Amino acid sequence: MGPLQSQVLLPERIAGLLGLSGTAGQIVGGLLGAFIIANLLLVQTAVAGPWAKRKITAAFTDRIAVNRVGPFGLFVIVADAVRLLSKELVIPDGVDRPAYDLGPLLVPFSALLGFAVIPMGNGIHLADPETGLVFAFAASSIASLGLVMMGYASNNKYSLLGGLRAIASNIAYEIPLIITAASVIIFTGSLQMSEIVAQQAEPLLTLGGVAIPQWFAFVNPFAFALFVVANLAEVGRNPFDVPEAPTEIVAGYQTEYSSVYFVLIYLGEFIHIFLGGALAATLFLGGPAGPVLPGFIWFTIKIWAFYLFTQWARSAVPRIRVDQFLDVGWKGMLVLSFANLVLTAVIVGVIA
Amino acid sequence: MSEWIAIGALGLVAVGIPLGMMAVSAILRPAVPEQGKGATYESGEIPTGTARVQFNIQYYMVALLFVVFDVETVLIFPWTVIYRSALSQGVALSTVLWPMLAFVGILVVGLVWAWRNGAVEWVKSPLANRQKTERNA
Repeated sequence: MGPLQSQVLLPERIAGLLGLSGTAGQIVGGLLGAFIIANLLLVQTAVAGPWAKRKITAAFTDRIAVNRVGPFGLFVIVADAVRLLSKELVIPDGVDRPAYDLGPLLVPFSALLGFAVIPMGNGIHLADPETGLVFAFAASSIASLGLVMMGYASNNKYSLLGGLRAIASNIAYEIPLIITAASVIIFTGSLQMSEIVAQQAEPLLTLGGVAIPQWFAFVNPFAFALFVVANLAEVGRNPFDVPEAPTEIVAGYQTEYSSVYFVLIYLGEFIHIFLGGALAATLFLGGPAGPVLPGFIWFTIKIWAFYLFTQWARSAVPRIRVDQFLDVGWKGMLVLSFANLVLTAVIVGVIA
Repeated sequence: MSEWIAIGALGLVAVGIPLGMMAVSAILRPAVPEQGKGATYESGEIPTGTARVQFNIQYYMVALLFVVFDVETVLIFPWTVIYRSALSQGVALSTVLWPMLAFVGILVVGLVWAWRNGAVEWVKSPLANRQKTERNA
Protein backbone atom coordinates (compact mmCIF):
# COMPACT_ATOMS: atom_id res chain seq x y z
CA MET A 1 0.00 0.00 0.00
CA GLY A 2 1.16 3.53 -0.76
CA PRO A 3 2.28 6.00 1.86
CA LEU A 4 -0.90 8.05 1.36
CA GLN A 5 -2.96 5.19 2.69
CA SER A 6 -3.17 5.24 6.44
CA GLN A 7 -4.09 1.79 7.65
CA VAL A 8 -5.40 2.85 11.05
CA LEU A 9 -9.12 3.57 10.91
CA LEU A 10 -10.65 6.52 12.73
CA PRO A 11 -12.30 4.61 15.63
CA GLU A 12 -9.05 2.78 16.47
CA ARG A 13 -7.08 6.01 16.42
CA ILE A 14 -9.55 7.76 18.72
CA ALA A 15 -9.59 4.76 21.06
CA GLY A 16 -5.78 4.84 21.05
CA LEU A 17 -5.71 8.56 21.88
CA LEU A 18 -8.14 8.03 24.75
CA GLY A 19 -6.17 5.05 25.99
CA LEU A 20 -9.14 2.70 25.69
CA SER A 21 -8.99 -0.84 24.38
CA GLY A 22 -11.30 -3.78 23.73
CA THR A 23 -15.01 -3.44 23.13
CA ALA A 24 -15.32 -0.22 25.16
CA GLY A 25 -12.66 1.38 22.96
CA GLN A 26 -14.42 0.21 19.81
CA ILE A 27 -17.78 1.60 20.91
CA VAL A 28 -16.47 4.95 22.18
CA GLY A 29 -14.10 5.31 19.23
CA GLY A 30 -16.87 4.38 16.81
CA LEU A 31 -19.31 6.86 18.30
CA LEU A 32 -16.82 9.73 18.39
CA GLY A 33 -15.57 8.92 14.90
CA ALA A 34 -19.13 8.78 13.59
CA PHE A 35 -19.84 12.11 15.28
CA ILE A 36 -16.79 13.71 13.61
CA ILE A 37 -17.72 12.39 10.16
CA ALA A 38 -21.37 13.42 10.49
CA ASN A 39 -20.32 16.92 11.54
CA LEU A 40 -17.83 17.25 8.69
CA LEU A 41 -20.72 16.54 6.35
CA LEU A 42 -23.10 18.86 8.19
CA VAL A 43 -20.60 21.72 7.85
CA GLN A 44 -20.13 21.06 4.14
CA THR A 45 -23.88 20.85 3.63
CA ALA A 46 -24.36 24.08 5.54
CA VAL A 47 -21.95 25.82 3.18
CA ALA A 48 -23.35 24.08 0.10
CA GLY A 49 -27.06 24.53 0.84
CA PRO A 50 -27.89 28.06 1.94
CA TRP A 51 -24.80 29.76 0.50
CA ALA A 52 -22.93 28.01 -2.33
CA LYS A 53 -26.10 26.95 -4.15
CA ARG A 54 -27.37 30.54 -4.23
CA LYS A 55 -24.00 31.95 -5.24
CA ILE A 56 -23.47 29.40 -8.02
CA THR A 57 -26.98 29.78 -9.43
CA ALA A 58 -26.61 33.56 -9.24
CA ALA A 59 -23.32 33.42 -11.11
CA PHE A 60 -24.96 31.39 -13.86
CA THR A 61 -27.90 33.79 -14.16
CA ASP A 62 -25.81 36.97 -13.82
CA ARG A 63 -27.04 38.03 -10.39
CA ILE A 64 -25.25 38.79 -7.10
CA ALA A 65 -27.18 36.71 -4.51
CA VAL A 66 -26.55 36.82 -0.75
CA ASN A 67 -23.94 39.47 0.16
CA ARG A 68 -25.36 41.38 3.14
CA VAL A 69 -24.51 39.36 6.24
CA GLY A 70 -20.81 38.78 6.88
CA PRO A 71 -17.99 38.37 4.33
CA PHE A 72 -19.41 37.25 0.94
CA GLY A 73 -22.72 36.85 2.74
CA LEU A 74 -21.38 33.75 4.49
CA PHE A 75 -23.16 34.42 7.80
CA VAL A 76 -26.45 33.93 5.98
CA ILE A 77 -25.85 30.25 6.81
CA VAL A 78 -26.41 30.96 10.50
CA ALA A 79 -29.34 33.26 9.80
CA ASP A 80 -30.94 30.67 7.54
CA ALA A 81 -30.44 27.85 10.01
CA VAL A 82 -32.25 29.82 12.72
CA ARG A 83 -34.93 31.01 10.30
CA LEU A 84 -35.71 27.54 8.95
CA LEU A 85 -35.73 25.80 12.34
CA SER A 86 -38.01 28.42 13.88
CA LYS A 87 -40.69 28.16 11.19
CA GLU A 88 -44.08 26.86 12.16
CA LEU A 89 -44.61 23.19 11.39
CA VAL A 90 -47.89 22.87 9.50
CA ILE A 91 -49.15 19.31 9.43
CA PRO A 92 -51.83 19.00 6.72
CA ASP A 93 -55.16 17.27 7.26
CA GLY A 94 -55.34 13.54 6.73
CA VAL A 95 -51.63 12.74 6.58
CA ASP A 96 -50.51 9.21 7.35
CA ARG A 97 -48.82 10.08 10.61
CA PRO A 98 -45.93 7.76 11.42
CA ALA A 99 -44.89 7.56 7.77
CA TYR A 100 -45.18 11.34 7.32
CA ASP A 101 -42.67 11.87 10.15
CA LEU A 102 -40.37 8.96 9.33
CA GLY A 103 -39.79 9.93 5.69
CA PRO A 104 -37.73 13.08 6.41
CA LEU A 105 -35.72 11.11 8.99
CA LEU A 106 -34.81 8.35 6.55
CA VAL A 107 -33.39 10.58 3.82
CA PRO A 108 -30.45 12.10 5.78
CA PHE A 109 -30.03 8.81 7.65
CA SER A 110 -29.37 6.84 4.48
CA ALA A 111 -27.01 9.44 3.03
CA LEU A 112 -24.97 9.70 6.25
CA LEU A 113 -24.82 5.92 6.64
CA GLY A 114 -23.27 5.58 3.19
CA PHE A 115 -20.31 7.70 4.31
CA ALA A 116 -19.32 5.07 6.90
CA VAL A 117 -17.21 3.21 4.35
CA ILE A 118 -15.82 6.16 2.34
CA PRO A 119 -12.09 6.82 2.82
CA MET A 120 -11.73 10.60 3.13
CA GLY A 121 -7.96 10.75 3.43
CA ASN A 122 -5.66 11.46 6.37
CA GLY A 123 -7.10 8.46 8.17
CA ILE A 124 -10.64 9.85 8.24
CA HIS A 125 -12.24 6.53 7.40
CA LEU A 126 -14.79 5.11 9.79
CA ALA A 127 -15.03 1.48 8.72
CA ASP A 128 -13.49 -0.67 6.02
CA PRO A 129 -15.52 -3.88 5.67
CA GLU A 130 -14.80 -6.26 2.80
CA THR A 131 -18.19 -5.49 1.28
CA GLY A 132 -17.66 -1.70 1.50
CA LEU A 133 -18.83 -0.72 -1.96
CA VAL A 134 -22.01 -2.80 -1.83
CA PHE A 135 -22.75 -1.36 1.62
CA ALA A 136 -22.45 2.20 0.30
CA PHE A 137 -24.94 1.47 -2.50
CA ALA A 138 -27.28 -0.35 -0.12
CA ALA A 139 -27.24 2.51 2.37
CA SER A 140 -27.79 5.20 -0.24
CA SER A 141 -30.79 3.43 -1.76
CA ILE A 142 -32.67 3.39 1.56
CA ALA A 143 -33.47 7.02 0.72
CA SER A 144 -35.98 6.10 -1.98
CA LEU A 145 -38.02 4.33 0.71
CA GLY A 146 -38.15 7.64 2.58
CA LEU A 147 -39.18 9.48 -0.59
CA VAL A 148 -42.02 7.05 -1.24
CA MET A 149 -43.18 7.34 2.36
CA MET A 150 -43.24 11.12 2.07
CA GLY A 151 -45.03 11.00 -1.26
CA TYR A 152 -47.74 8.66 -0.13
CA ALA A 153 -48.22 9.92 3.43
CA SER A 154 -48.62 13.59 2.51
CA ASN A 155 -52.19 13.18 1.22
CA ASN A 156 -51.36 15.50 -1.66
CA LYS A 157 -51.65 14.62 -5.33
CA TYR A 158 -48.44 16.39 -6.26
CA SER A 159 -46.63 14.49 -3.51
CA LEU A 160 -48.04 11.20 -4.79
CA LEU A 161 -46.79 11.97 -8.30
CA GLY A 162 -43.41 13.00 -6.93
CA GLY A 163 -43.10 9.82 -4.88
CA LEU A 164 -43.98 7.65 -7.88
CA ARG A 165 -41.47 9.51 -10.02
CA ALA A 166 -38.82 9.00 -7.34
CA ILE A 167 -39.36 5.24 -7.66
CA ALA A 168 -39.20 5.55 -11.44
CA SER A 169 -35.83 7.30 -11.23
CA ASN A 170 -34.58 4.70 -8.79
CA ILE A 171 -35.59 1.69 -10.88
CA ALA A 172 -34.29 3.21 -14.09
CA TYR A 173 -30.88 4.42 -12.96
CA GLU A 174 -29.80 2.22 -10.07
CA ILE A 175 -28.93 -0.75 -12.29
CA PRO A 176 -26.74 1.27 -14.70
CA LEU A 177 -25.02 2.82 -11.68
CA ILE A 178 -24.25 -0.51 -10.01
CA ILE A 179 -23.34 -2.35 -13.23
CA THR A 180 -20.90 0.45 -14.07
CA ALA A 181 -19.39 0.16 -10.60
CA ALA A 182 -19.10 -3.60 -11.19
CA SER A 183 -16.95 -2.90 -14.25
CA VAL A 184 -14.48 -1.18 -11.91
CA ILE A 185 -14.56 -4.19 -9.57
CA ILE A 186 -13.32 -6.32 -12.48
CA PHE A 187 -10.07 -4.30 -12.29
CA THR A 188 -9.76 -4.22 -8.51
CA GLY A 189 -11.00 -7.71 -7.63
CA SER A 190 -12.15 -6.39 -4.27
CA LEU A 191 -15.15 -4.55 -2.87
CA GLN A 192 -13.09 -3.12 0.00
CA MET A 193 -12.81 0.67 -0.31
CA SER A 194 -9.20 0.89 0.92
CA GLU A 195 -8.20 -1.75 -1.63
CA ILE A 196 -10.01 0.05 -4.48
CA VAL A 197 -8.18 3.27 -3.58
CA ALA A 198 -4.82 1.53 -3.13
CA GLN A 199 -5.05 -0.09 -6.58
CA GLN A 200 -5.49 3.32 -8.16
CA ALA A 201 -2.22 4.58 -6.65
CA GLU A 202 -0.26 2.33 -9.04
CA PRO A 203 1.27 4.26 -11.95
CA LEU A 204 -0.52 3.91 -15.27
CA LEU A 205 2.19 5.48 -17.43
CA THR A 206 4.92 8.08 -17.06
CA LEU A 207 4.68 11.29 -19.03
CA GLY A 208 7.84 13.42 -18.98
CA GLY A 209 8.96 12.06 -15.64
CA VAL A 210 5.54 12.54 -14.01
CA ALA A 211 3.83 9.28 -13.11
CA ILE A 212 0.13 9.34 -14.00
CA PRO A 213 -1.73 7.23 -11.42
CA GLN A 214 -4.00 4.42 -12.54
CA TRP A 215 -7.25 6.21 -11.73
CA PHE A 216 -10.08 4.30 -13.29
CA ALA A 217 -11.41 7.51 -14.85
CA PHE A 218 -8.22 7.41 -16.99
CA VAL A 219 -8.33 3.64 -17.50
CA ASN A 220 -12.00 3.56 -18.51
CA PRO A 221 -13.33 7.09 -19.17
CA PHE A 222 -16.51 5.69 -20.73
CA ALA A 223 -17.46 4.00 -17.46
CA PHE A 224 -16.71 7.24 -15.61
CA ALA A 225 -19.05 9.19 -17.89
CA LEU A 226 -21.80 6.58 -17.45
CA PHE A 227 -21.33 6.57 -13.69
CA VAL A 228 -21.53 10.36 -13.42
CA VAL A 229 -24.70 10.50 -15.54
CA ALA A 230 -26.39 7.70 -13.58
CA ASN A 231 -25.29 9.42 -10.38
CA LEU A 232 -26.89 12.67 -11.52
CA ALA A 233 -30.16 10.79 -11.97
CA GLU A 234 -29.82 9.07 -8.59
CA VAL A 235 -29.43 12.39 -6.76
CA GLY A 236 -32.27 13.87 -8.83
CA ARG A 237 -30.58 16.85 -10.42
CA ASN A 238 -31.13 18.30 -13.88
CA PRO A 239 -31.58 17.00 -16.52
CA PHE A 240 -33.04 14.22 -14.35
CA ASP A 241 -34.85 16.57 -11.98
CA VAL A 242 -38.08 14.67 -12.66
CA PRO A 243 -39.11 13.66 -9.09
CA GLU A 244 -39.14 17.26 -7.82
CA ALA A 245 -39.84 19.12 -11.06
CA PRO A 246 -40.81 22.49 -9.52
CA THR A 247 -42.52 23.70 -12.70
CA GLU A 248 -44.64 20.57 -13.14
CA ILE A 249 -45.60 19.12 -9.76
CA VAL A 250 -44.83 21.99 -7.33
CA ALA A 251 -42.10 20.26 -5.31
CA GLY A 252 -42.98 16.58 -5.66
CA TYR A 253 -42.81 14.56 -2.48
CA GLN A 254 -41.77 17.54 -0.36
CA THR A 255 -44.74 19.78 -1.20
CA GLU A 256 -46.39 19.40 2.21
CA TYR A 257 -43.29 19.65 4.36
CA SER A 258 -42.39 22.78 6.30
CA SER A 259 -40.05 23.83 9.09
CA VAL A 260 -37.54 21.24 10.33
CA TYR A 261 -38.85 18.52 8.01
CA PHE A 262 -38.03 20.72 5.03
CA VAL A 263 -34.53 21.22 6.45
CA LEU A 264 -34.07 17.48 6.93
CA ILE A 265 -35.15 16.67 3.37
CA TYR A 266 -32.76 19.26 1.96
CA LEU A 267 -29.98 18.10 4.28
CA GLY A 268 -30.49 14.56 3.03
CA GLU A 269 -30.45 15.66 -0.61
CA PHE A 270 -27.22 17.60 -0.28
CA ILE A 271 -25.48 14.82 1.64
CA HIS A 272 -26.68 12.51 -1.13
CA ILE A 273 -25.00 14.70 -3.73
CA PHE A 274 -21.81 14.56 -1.67
CA LEU A 275 -22.16 10.79 -1.32
CA GLY A 276 -22.54 10.52 -5.09
CA GLY A 277 -19.41 12.63 -5.49
CA ALA A 278 -17.59 10.55 -2.88
CA LEU A 279 -18.46 7.30 -4.66
CA ALA A 280 -17.35 8.72 -8.01
CA ALA A 281 -14.12 9.95 -6.39
CA THR A 282 -13.42 6.62 -4.66
CA LEU A 283 -14.18 4.46 -7.67
CA PHE A 284 -12.77 6.59 -10.47
CA LEU A 285 -10.64 9.44 -9.16
CA GLY A 286 -8.26 7.70 -6.77
CA GLY A 287 -10.24 8.51 -3.61
CA PRO A 288 -8.35 11.03 -1.50
CA ALA A 289 -5.14 10.75 -3.54
CA GLY A 290 -3.58 13.74 -5.25
CA PRO A 291 -0.32 15.66 -5.53
CA VAL A 292 1.09 18.13 -2.94
CA LEU A 293 -2.05 18.78 -0.86
CA PRO A 294 -3.08 16.41 1.95
CA GLY A 295 -5.62 13.68 1.19
CA PHE A 296 -8.59 15.18 2.98
CA ILE A 297 -8.26 18.44 1.02
CA TRP A 298 -8.19 16.48 -2.25
CA PHE A 299 -11.21 14.47 -1.21
CA THR A 300 -13.08 17.69 -0.40
CA ILE A 301 -12.06 19.20 -3.75
CA LYS A 302 -13.34 16.12 -5.58
CA ILE A 303 -16.74 15.96 -3.90
CA TRP A 304 -17.16 19.72 -4.31
CA ALA A 305 -16.27 19.37 -7.97
CA PHE A 306 -19.14 16.91 -8.32
CA TYR A 307 -21.40 19.28 -6.38
CA LEU A 308 -20.41 22.12 -8.70
CA PHE A 309 -21.15 19.86 -11.66
CA THR A 310 -24.66 19.11 -10.37
CA GLN A 311 -25.31 22.82 -9.87
CA TRP A 312 -23.94 23.57 -13.32
CA ALA A 313 -26.25 20.97 -14.84
CA ARG A 314 -29.10 22.45 -12.80
CA SER A 315 -28.54 25.88 -14.31
CA ALA A 316 -27.56 24.88 -17.83
CA VAL A 317 -29.57 21.80 -18.85
CA PRO A 318 -33.35 21.62 -19.28
CA ARG A 319 -35.32 18.87 -17.56
CA ILE A 320 -36.37 15.88 -19.65
CA ARG A 321 -39.97 14.64 -19.67
CA VAL A 322 -40.90 11.74 -17.38
CA ASP A 323 -41.46 9.22 -20.18
CA GLN A 324 -38.18 10.24 -21.82
CA PHE A 325 -36.62 9.84 -18.39
CA LEU A 326 -37.55 6.15 -18.31
CA ASP A 327 -36.53 5.73 -21.95
CA VAL A 328 -33.07 7.18 -21.37
CA GLY A 329 -32.64 4.88 -18.39
CA TRP A 330 -33.89 1.62 -19.85
CA LYS A 331 -33.08 1.98 -23.53
CA GLY A 332 -29.88 3.98 -23.21
CA MET A 333 -28.05 3.74 -19.91
CA LEU A 334 -28.89 0.10 -19.17
CA VAL A 335 -27.75 -1.15 -22.56
CA LEU A 336 -24.60 1.00 -22.48
CA SER A 337 -23.71 -0.12 -18.96
CA PHE A 338 -24.02 -3.80 -19.92
CA ALA A 339 -21.94 -3.18 -23.04
CA ASN A 340 -19.36 -1.50 -20.84
CA LEU A 341 -19.31 -4.43 -18.39
CA VAL A 342 -18.94 -7.09 -21.08
CA LEU A 343 -16.33 -5.11 -23.02
CA THR A 344 -14.32 -4.45 -19.85
CA ALA A 345 -14.44 -8.14 -18.96
CA VAL A 346 -13.33 -9.18 -22.47
CA ILE A 347 -10.51 -6.62 -22.65
CA VAL A 348 -9.23 -7.46 -19.17
CA GLY A 349 -9.46 -11.16 -20.05
CA VAL A 350 -7.54 -10.76 -23.30
CA ILE A 351 -4.80 -8.57 -21.79
CA ALA A 352 -4.36 -10.61 -18.61
CA MET B 1 -16.36 -7.06 13.67
CA SER B 2 -15.18 -3.67 14.91
CA GLU B 3 -16.03 -2.03 11.58
CA TRP B 4 -19.68 -3.01 11.97
CA ILE B 5 -19.67 -1.49 15.47
CA ALA B 6 -18.42 1.76 13.89
CA ILE B 7 -21.06 1.58 11.14
CA GLY B 8 -23.73 0.99 13.77
CA ALA B 9 -22.40 4.01 15.66
CA LEU B 10 -22.76 6.14 12.53
CA GLY B 11 -26.29 4.77 12.16
CA LEU B 12 -27.06 5.98 15.70
CA VAL B 13 -25.53 9.40 15.03
CA ALA B 14 -27.40 9.62 11.71
CA VAL B 15 -30.69 9.15 13.56
CA GLY B 16 -29.59 11.32 16.50
CA ILE B 17 -28.73 14.41 14.45
CA PRO B 18 -32.16 14.68 12.74
CA LEU B 19 -33.89 13.98 16.08
CA GLY B 20 -31.77 16.68 17.72
CA MET B 21 -32.70 19.16 15.00
CA MET B 22 -36.36 18.26 15.45
CA ALA B 23 -36.02 18.86 19.21
CA VAL B 24 -34.38 22.28 18.70
CA SER B 25 -37.06 23.23 16.21
CA ALA B 26 -39.81 22.09 18.58
CA ILE B 27 -38.46 24.53 21.19
CA LEU B 28 -38.01 27.45 18.77
CA ARG B 29 -41.06 27.30 16.54
CA PRO B 30 -44.47 28.85 17.17
CA ALA B 31 -47.74 27.00 16.79
CA VAL B 32 -50.57 29.11 15.39
CA PRO B 33 -53.35 26.72 14.44
CA GLU B 34 -55.81 28.39 12.11
CA GLN B 35 -58.69 27.06 10.11
CA GLY B 36 -57.68 26.22 6.56
CA LYS B 37 -53.97 26.01 7.29
CA GLY B 38 -54.14 22.25 7.26
CA ALA B 39 -55.54 22.05 3.74
CA THR B 40 -53.18 20.29 1.33
CA TYR B 41 -51.80 22.40 -1.51
CA GLU B 42 -53.67 22.25 -4.77
CA SER B 43 -52.73 25.53 -6.41
CA GLY B 44 -54.70 27.50 -3.83
CA GLU B 45 -57.99 25.77 -4.59
CA ILE B 46 -59.95 23.70 -2.07
CA PRO B 47 -58.54 20.18 -2.47
CA THR B 48 -60.76 17.71 -4.28
CA GLY B 49 -60.85 14.60 -2.12
CA THR B 50 -57.81 12.82 -0.77
CA ALA B 51 -54.71 11.66 -2.60
CA ARG B 52 -55.49 8.00 -1.81
CA VAL B 53 -56.81 7.41 -5.29
CA GLN B 54 -56.52 4.62 -7.83
CA PHE B 55 -53.67 5.72 -9.99
CA ASN B 56 -52.25 4.31 -13.20
CA ILE B 57 -48.61 3.59 -12.45
CA GLN B 58 -47.32 3.88 -15.99
CA TYR B 59 -44.10 2.01 -15.41
CA TYR B 60 -45.57 -1.09 -13.75
CA MET B 61 -44.00 -3.48 -16.28
CA VAL B 62 -40.70 -1.67 -15.95
CA ALA B 63 -40.84 -2.17 -12.19
CA LEU B 64 -41.21 -5.91 -12.74
CA LEU B 65 -38.19 -5.86 -15.05
CA PHE B 66 -36.29 -3.94 -12.39
CA VAL B 67 -36.70 -6.76 -9.88
CA VAL B 68 -35.12 -9.22 -12.33
CA PHE B 69 -32.19 -6.95 -13.15
CA ASP B 70 -31.63 -5.94 -9.54
CA VAL B 71 -31.29 -9.56 -8.47
CA GLU B 72 -28.94 -9.98 -11.39
CA THR B 73 -26.63 -7.18 -10.17
CA VAL B 74 -26.34 -9.02 -6.86
CA LEU B 75 -25.32 -12.19 -8.72
CA ILE B 76 -22.82 -10.35 -10.93
CA PHE B 77 -20.80 -8.86 -8.04
CA PRO B 78 -19.18 -12.14 -6.86
CA TRP B 79 -18.15 -12.87 -10.44
CA THR B 80 -16.50 -9.45 -10.86
CA VAL B 81 -14.60 -9.96 -7.61
CA ILE B 82 -13.02 -13.30 -8.59
CA TYR B 83 -12.68 -12.65 -12.34
CA ARG B 84 -9.18 -11.19 -12.47
CA SER B 85 -7.61 -13.34 -9.77
CA ALA B 86 -9.04 -16.47 -11.40
CA LEU B 87 -7.43 -15.43 -14.69
CA SER B 88 -4.07 -14.71 -13.06
CA GLN B 89 -4.17 -18.12 -11.37
CA GLY B 90 -4.30 -19.74 -14.79
CA VAL B 91 -7.98 -20.54 -15.28
CA ALA B 92 -8.85 -20.42 -18.98
CA LEU B 93 -10.58 -17.27 -20.17
CA SER B 94 -13.50 -19.20 -21.64
CA THR B 95 -14.15 -20.96 -18.30
CA VAL B 96 -14.49 -17.64 -16.47
CA LEU B 97 -16.10 -15.52 -19.16
CA TRP B 98 -18.64 -17.72 -20.97
CA PRO B 99 -20.98 -18.56 -18.05
CA MET B 100 -21.38 -14.88 -17.22
CA LEU B 101 -21.79 -13.93 -20.88
CA ALA B 102 -24.55 -16.53 -21.16
CA PHE B 103 -26.17 -15.21 -17.98
CA VAL B 104 -26.09 -11.59 -19.16
CA GLY B 105 -27.11 -12.74 -22.64
CA ILE B 106 -30.28 -14.43 -21.39
CA LEU B 107 -31.24 -11.25 -19.53
CA VAL B 108 -30.49 -9.06 -22.53
CA VAL B 109 -32.65 -11.30 -24.73
CA GLY B 110 -35.39 -10.86 -22.12
CA LEU B 111 -34.92 -7.09 -22.22
CA VAL B 112 -35.09 -7.06 -26.03
CA TRP B 113 -38.27 -9.14 -25.91
CA ALA B 114 -39.84 -6.76 -23.37
CA TRP B 115 -38.69 -3.80 -25.42
CA ARG B 116 -40.21 -5.13 -28.64
CA ASN B 117 -43.45 -5.91 -26.83
CA GLY B 118 -43.64 -2.33 -25.66
CA ALA B 119 -43.23 -3.12 -21.96
CA VAL B 120 -40.59 -0.40 -21.62
CA GLU B 121 -42.83 2.14 -23.35
CA TRP B 122 -44.71 4.75 -21.37
CA VAL B 123 -48.30 3.49 -21.35
CA LYS B 124 -50.60 6.07 -22.91
CA SER B 125 -54.21 6.12 -21.80
CA PRO B 126 -56.86 5.81 -24.56
CA LEU B 127 -58.02 9.33 -23.66
CA ALA B 128 -54.55 10.77 -24.15
CA ASN B 129 -54.26 9.00 -27.50
CA ARG B 130 -57.58 10.40 -28.69
CA GLN B 131 -56.68 13.92 -27.63
CA LYS B 132 -53.22 13.78 -29.12
CA THR B 133 -52.52 16.59 -31.56
CA GLU B 134 -50.68 15.55 -34.67
CA ARG B 135 -47.49 17.42 -35.28
CA ASN B 136 -46.66 18.52 -38.80
CA ALA B 137 -43.09 17.45 -39.21
